[in-house]
Amino acid sequence: MGPVTVVIGEKGGTQPPAPRASWHLRANAIVVAWIALTIAAALSPGVLPAPRWLVIHVFLLGAVTTAIVIWSEHFAAALLRVGASGRRWSITRLVALNAATIAVLYGVAAGPWPVAAAGAAAVVGVVVWHAAVLAGMLKRALPGPFRHVIGWYLAAAGALTVGGALGGLLAAHVGNGPMHERLHAAHAETNLFGWVALTVLGTLFTLWPTVLRTRLSPLTRRCSRLALRLAVAGLGLTLPGLLLGLRWVAVAGLTVYLAAAAVALAPVVETLRRRRPHTGAAWTLGAAVAWFGIALITDLVVVATHSADDLPAALEPLLPLVLAGFAAQVLLGSLMHLLPAVLGGGPVRFKQNAALLERGWPYRLAAANLGVPLVALPVPERVGLLGWVLVLTPAVAFVALAVTALVRARHPRGRVSPVPLGVVVGCLLTTAAVAVAVSGGAGPARLEVVPGVRRTVEVTLAAMRIRPAVISAPSGTVLTLRVTNADAQRHDLRLSTGDHTPMLGPGETAVVKLAPLAGTVDGSCTVAGHQAAGMTMRIVPAPAAASAEPAETGHAAMGRSGTRTGGRGTTLDPGAPMSPGWKPYDAALKPAAGGEEHRVEIRVEETDLEVAPGVHQRMWTFDGSVPGPTLRGKVGDVFVVTFVNGGTIGHGIDFHAGAVAPDGPMRTIDPGQRLTYRFRADRAGAWLYHCSTMPMSLHIANGMYGAVVIDPPDLPTVDREFVLVQGELYLGQPGQDDLGSRILEGRPDGWMFNGTAAGYDHVPLTATAGERVRIWVVAAGPGSGTAFHLVGVPFDTVYKEGAYLLKRGDPGGAQVLDLAPAQGGFAELVFPEAGHYPFVDHTMPRAEAGAHGLFAVSAP
Amino acid sequence: MTWWSVIRFLHVLGAALWVGGQLAVSLILLPLARRLLDAERRASVLGAVGRRFGLFTVTAFLPVQLVTGVAMAAHKGVTWASLAQPGYGRILAAKLLLFCAVMLAAGLHGWASGTGRPAAARALATAALVGSLGVVLLATALPAT
Repeated sequence: MGPVTVVIGEKGGTQPPAPRASWHLRANAIVVAWIALTIAAALSPGVLPAPRWLVIHVFLLGAVTTAIVIWSEHFAAALLRVGASGRRWSITRLVALNAATIAVLYGVAAGPWPVAAAGAAAVVGVVVWHAAVLAGMLKRALPGPFRHVIGWYLAAAGALTVGGALGGLLAAHVGNGPMHERLHAAHAETNLFGWVALTVLGTLFTLWPTVLRTRLSPLTRRCSRLALRLAVAGLGLTLPGLLLGLRWVAVAGLTVYLAAAAVALAPVVETLRRRRPHTGAAWTLGAAVAWFGIALITDLVVVATHSADDLPAALEPLLPLVLAGFAAQVLLGSLMHLLPAVLGGGPVRFKQNAALLERGWPYRLAAANLGVPLVALPVPERVGLLGWVLVLTPAVAFVALAVTALVRARHPRGRVSPVPLGVVVGCLLTTAAVAVAVSGGAGPARLEVVPGVRRTVEVTLAAMRIRPAVISAPSGTVLTLRVTNADAQRHDLRLSTGDHTPMLGPGETAVVKLAPLAGTVDGSCTVAGHQAAGMTMRIVPAPAAASAEPAETGHAAMGRSGTRTGGRGTTLDPGAPMSPGWKPYDAALKPAAGGEEHRVEIRVEETDLEVAPGVHQRMWTFDGSVPGPTLRGKVGDVFVVTFVNGGTIGHGIDFHAGAVAPDGPMRTIDPGQRLTYRFRADRAGAWLYHCSTMPMSLHIANGMYGAVVIDPPDLPTVDREFVLVQGELYLGQPGQDDLGSRILEGRPDGWMFNGTAAGYDHVPLTATAGERVRIWVVAAGPGSGTAFHLVGVPFDTVYKEGAYLLKRGDPGGAQVLDLAPAQGGFAELVFPEAGHYPFVDHTMPRAEAGAHGLFAVSAP
Repeated sequence: MTWWSVIRFLHVLGAALWVGGQLAVSLILLPLARRLLDAERRASVLGAVGRRFGLFTVTAFLPVQLVTGVAMAAHKGVTWASLAQPGYGRILAAKLLLFCAVMLAAGLHGWASGTGRPAAARALATAALVGSLGVVLLATALPAT
């Protein structure tokens, strides 16, 4: 058997653009356009990290299927040496296929489902017609050496008929829950390993030697016949196995299919041993075949190790590998080889075009194949993003080269008038920028679902809200929620039906399919505190829609556990002993360090602390203590705070003592990140600092606050200085159902000075009679301030919020330093004699629930 | 009327001069030069105009736009993270990207006309002009608050 370069030679074109080359040109322009659209879809915001439905289908249904229909017909005509079928009908099929593809894309992404289902039916119809044309050619053709290839094309078309029908059923939302998953898996496997891979395997028998410019392998015919039978049998087993959830039948089918692939690739390998690839097209095709093998084996393993119901989710990571590694490289490799022949224009032009399309191929090949494992493997997000850049950049380069070649072919002298070109480029740039600018608007707060049996609703998670917050739909509606996290932090959505999304990173999307709507369904984000902060939603059957405010007490009706934790069960007993070895927060305040710049590092930690006698609780802390470290300086000092998030969720920090725009320094940072917060303390006072992450009530209630003391100018020295930060104590862990609502309702379990309820009752602060004592007090809240009072001695000096209310030497005195939440100040007194002087928040219920401590004053 | 009005004024003025200058050259100067001058003189005049415009761009336009733009963004509290957020941030990000593309096209235009690639130079100049209109469009789309 001689070299098969005749296949190309026929249309290598001795004539300038022949009519056939001309329609092929247009047809291939469609393929290139679909590739470009795929890239655009992959780059559109929110889609990039994971290949989603639109990218997959723009590529496989748009680019790949169009290419298969064009080229399998062309190859069939060339290999069987029959005249091409009527060109008009070929073009009609292509137009119909593309219209059907657009219908599917529009119908699923935006429109009513019947449009998508009709589109799927039309795609199947076009492919059946296409197969009938191929079968007709086979009948007309004289016996020849290449008839076996057509069998592959017919089998592939048969697979698409089934896979496309399954896709139509999916688009029509047939099947709920497990059935949906099975249909999904069967649809994907049939179309990828049937329609795409069978066509590719069949084509490779002749294309591969052509690309390598060598003769056909002698193994070809025998291998082809055997492999085709095995492949059809394998797929015939896999499909019912997947549909019926019979895992081992599916595995058996895939094993047979794997054997078929091995047999079919034997000639490819045999050819390869005779002749090394030397062109970009050959290397790209070779890489595609290698990824095909890897994908097939991985697929087999995944199917064998997962139950049918979670198969689509388990196969998801495989998709980028199949798409970018196998399908894209087959397509690009084939086009690199075939386009120059199609473009025609004589041998010189052929060489020019070939050189153009192969320009820089080693870099493109290396980038794409480095990128494929990065997009397929579970690597950190940034690395995955790099993978996408590596995969998409060569694709963009190819599209640019192909467009150049196509334009050159249409304008043989290579002239495109510059001004229209410039206008087009400028308009494209502007359109892209506008598309970026208008992306991701806020969704409506309430959505009425019009009567209909099935509906897909877009749900957006952002800014502590779920939009729409209320979905009202007629009873019996089958709702599918497409949940997108449009926020900068992680969220999820869990519904009272038990359906839930995985935890979604920024920009990620997940789909939740619900059972027919029977009653009210409540939903919320499960991240600590987010439900309480307002991330709730409710789905109501339409007649009940009138009374549809998401209720705070919804969880009781939802049958969720309303139990309280052990910590909550224990009653607070301020008189109980502290645990052995417990040390109070050091209330003694040291003078400000010298210098005008203070550099500190504050680190978020989750620390187990004794918050009340005998009660331990995991708190969110700054530097491991509640309150966080007290910073002290004088007016005009600069504080450079390195803030490190060593916690497990996002946190931020907000210093009241400085004047800065909150946007940057007060932003929420993820665990492991750090930021520098620089502020100058221009004003004196006792200032609060606290976590700036929403919901702040939860973060402050859980211990994230501290004090900054800025001495007023000419602050007299005293014998002793103390700092007391008063905060509320909530027992229980964030994420518990009622903690958030208790915080919002302002029902603390106790009050604390410096992080422990009644702690200084057990280890009193000390002073000596006759000493002047200054007590700095800051009220951290989150919900209540303080009426700070020292039992036994009036204050002779009171400084509150930057001003003296009472100065030493004034005739008056003060009994309480009153502070609203987040206010601060100090009070001074002189202990007249030895004794035990309690200090309290004179809001007495709080004093009795922990806002209580002692001064033990000794005789001089 | 604060100093920020002055800075905003400079920013808008710079944009007006640059876009307006380009429009004047493309729509008025270029057709007239083509009609009134022979090829040689046309090339030298247009070359000189292009070089002068490039000089203006690099020495006056770019510094003013960058300094006033960065100052206004800082004043408004724009951060890198906020550029990704839908609404103001994303429109601003798109505007900046388009502006970079326009500057790149303008720079390449200078390179192409300097190295005797007239067709490429014209295409790039047109692309830069159309793109800069897009920048103005996005600037007007930025919410005022």
